[in-house]
Amino acid sequence: MVLMFEEAYKQQPTNEELGAQTFFANVRASHWKSAQQANDPATPTAMKTILYKLAHRIVMSSPTPSYQSNDRFHLHLSILQELELYDDAHKLLDSDTGRAICSTSLSCNEIRRNIWRKRGMILDEGKLATRRISEKHDRNWLEFLSVLDATFSYLSSSDGSSDSRVESSEHVKETKEFLNRIAEEDGAKDRSAALALLELEKRAHDHGISNDSNRLVILMQDYFTRVGHKACCFEDLKPYLALKEDELSKWTSFLQAVPRSFKTPEELQRLINSHKLLRYNLTQSELSIEAETSRATLYIEQYLEGLKLGSNLPTTELQYADDLALLATNTLVTLWRLTSNEEYLFNAVTLLEFALTKSKQSFQARLALIRLYRLLGAPSLAVDHYRAMGIKQVQNDTLSHFILSRASTFSLASTGDLTLATDCLESTQIYLSNSQETADFVVRAFQGERYSQIPEFIVFEERLDNSLQRDIVKMEHLRMRLTHEQITSDVIDMELIELKFIFDRTHHDNRDFDIMSDYQPKVSSDIFSQTNLLEKNESHGWLRAFLKVYIRAFQQGSDLDDSVEEKLLIGDRPKQSFGAESRPPLKQRLAEAFTEEEVAELTRDELLFVQFARSLAEWLQPYHDYSRPPPNVVLAEAAKQTELKTGYPLKGVDLAALTRSSSPTKKDEEPPAVTEPPQQVAQFFEGEVRENFAEALNWLDSPPSSSQSTLWRDAKE
Amino acid sequence: MSVLRPFKATDMFKFNNINLDIWTETYGIGFYLNYLSRWPDLCSVQEAPSGRMMGYVIGKAEGSNTEWHGHVTAITVAPEYRRLGLARKMMGLLEMVSDEIYKGFFVDLYVRCANSVAIDMYEGMGYSVYRRVRGYYGNIGLGKGGRDEEDAFDMRKPMSRDPRRRSVRSNGRDMVVSAHDVS
Repeated sequence: MVLMFEEAYKQQPTNEELGAQTFFANVRASHWKSAQQANDPATPTAMKTILYKLAHRIVMSSPTPSYQSNDRFHLHLSILQELELYDDAHKLLDSDTGRAICSTSLSCNEIRRNIWRKRGMILDEGKLATRRISEKHDRNWLEFLSVLDATFSYLSSSDGSSDSRVESSEHVKETKEFLNRIAEEDGAKDRSAALALLELEKRAHDHGISNDSNRLVILMQDYFTRVGHKACCFEDLKPYLALKEDELSKWTSFLQAVPRSFKTPEELQRLINSHKLLRYNLTQSELSIEAETSRATLYIEQYLEGLKLGSNLPTTELQYADDLALLATNTLVTLWRLTSNEEYLFNAVTLLEFALTKSKQSFQARLALIRLYRLLGAPSLAVDHYRAMGIKQVQNDTLSHFILSRASTFSLASTGDLTLATDCLESTQIYLSNSQETADFVVRAFQGERYSQIPEFIVFEERLDNSLQRDIVKMEHLRMRLTHEQITSDVIDMELIELKFIFDRTHHDNRDFDIMSDYQPKVSSDIFSQTNLLEKNESHGWLRAFLKVYIRAFQQGSDLDDSVEEKLLIGDRPKQSFGAESRPPLKQRLAEAFTEEEVAELTRDELLFVQFARSLAEWLQPYHDYSRPPPNVVLAEAAKQTELKTGYPLKGVDLAALTRSSSPTKKDEEPPAVTEPPQQVAQFFEGEVRENFAEALNWLDSPPSSSQSTLWRDAKE
Repeated sequence: MSVLRPFKATDMFKFNNINLDIWTETYGIGFYLNYLSRWPDLCSVQEAPSGRMMGYVIGKAEGSNTEWHGHVTAITVAPEYRRLGLARKMMGLLEMVSDEIYKGFFVDLYVRCANSVAIDMYEGMGYSVYRRVRGYYGNIGLGKGGRDEEDAFDMRKPMSRDPRRRSVRSNGRDMVVSAHDVS
């Protein structure tokens, strides 16, 4: 298809329609190199500039001016930005039309901001922002940031002399008055100015031009008083919580004075915010078993009390007190980390399951339960909660790691239960949709002249197609399948080819690790890291280590070698990824020792396994290479099979020539000498592996006594 | 304290805290890309200073002659960021773009008849019920059931091109049509 259009276009280069169709065909086939050469990282920089200059000339010579449509204007500006022609861009923007467009188009305004910043027009931006805030009632946080950047811009350009500091203080004072006025006007309707005052104070503090060390805390207290009854208060104040000792003690006393009893949801929310803020600043010494236990008890007591406020809420709503259950969960996890006593996890699980009966829609509770159930070795309960969240479409890429991370650990495929294996397959549907659909939308955007969207679509398609999670799941799925399916030569060959493609890909990590609400103190790690199965979170290193192991294993089990593979896969190979030419050959990369990154992501058992697999492969390599049939024999066989199955000869393989060639067969060579297996191989099943196995068997015979939820009982009484 | 910016394709990797909520539907990739490839200026995001997404709106422009209008396909705010006026700001932008760029006569949206909180909010923004649409929504299997859950109100707000307010009516709640009659 692509070739056809390219040929036709070459014949009639002035035919715009054909040109457009060629472009579309390339786009559909994801041949970004041809279609969007300028942004392909493989294009050398000089070439990039030439392409952009060309684009610039085309835009300038176009009969219709670019400000006819917002997207054309945006495109024109993007080209100028890439070429760093900021003055030209500014001229475009400084016209009446330019200004009008920027006031109605968010994306054009975005690019205007970037261009002004590159031109160093920080003060102008600040003035413009000030006008927008006061005259147009614009409360976009970006405008406030512009005002603040302008206020402190004097410092960065100056030499830090005392004069410039005085001048800066003046500007700070001006800005403070301005923001105070806006905050007064807005009152309860909008908190942007109040938050901006905090940011102003913090920056003044950091630059050393603040004269009042108490002011920051006073502002924080003021903000809490204004906004403390809204859930967002904690997140808003987080950037300002790194306080010095005396500031911190004032802040802590203020928070501790928040009343513990509540009659309305607002009062409850205020209490919850105070808990979150206090917890964030706890010191290491305050995280003792006694202290955390009393905190957990308190949170649970208040949670049960808080449920009463929400007894009339419809089942579709979250409970006002839900966050207290989550706070308790965070505390119980800390206790578990301190003591290694799983009883705390059982308590947390009980609490969360109870919370769900009162607040069916709390996905935060479900996320926490999934993490905890996996830690406790109850994967099917985790899967139930995952399913209850109704995760679909692109969320399969960002959230499936919750149940599919190291899923082969829990897979019962060897006994015929394919639940997890099926889950793996289901989660991959999204990648197929992406391959089929996204390119079409790029075409549509181009046709509709929505140029601003095209780079984004391409980035999106690329990120999803080369998703790290996609290939991690693929690896886990493979490991599950191998315990269940017959390992035929077809399976080996197919998997080998696929794994090699994956090995050379540049992966994008789209996984969402921030979705879980984290209420752990800043001195501790976050709740997600704390609840990692086996203390590890697999990433690029893990994938590479396992790919190395399995690729080598499949290579040794396969009759395919590089030359055979090339002949059999004409036209089916995906494009070489960026940098392919500069890399050492695959064989060398596979034989490399495991890197630090890879080792860091493996558990102890995994590390032992991959090292064993590597030694085994090294030891057996010569024997496999010897016994593998020569390429011409393999190709001849493949050609024969193809003809039998399809009735057509295998393309690109000259069967007659193959059978004629009389290369010395390997059988004429001497077989490699038999050597003793290396220590790592011979001793693998002794030592640690045997111990672990024995321990697991023991556990089956006498599991630890089932835990009582003592904490839970105490709280209820 | 929120940034209002255009919705972009890669936001699909970041919207889980909004979409895991029961009331927010996660559509296929094609759904979002369709809107972005045709009406990107009617799709915007509210983002917290930390970079977290707080809410978004997806809209389009459609209709012929005097029915040419802006339409809110989806508007949603994450539970932890509700009651901060974010929806109002996103609606304001959508209305401005519908009015000044698309030159629509009005903006309309569909809302569940049972969702009194949302209906009040839209009325506060100048919308009024134009008609009731039988069976517009599928029943999501929650709540006590009844017609209110499945029926929708088509609410409208006239734009500057409709100074005589021909696109709205006073007795909208009494006008009932079936889902087949609307797009």
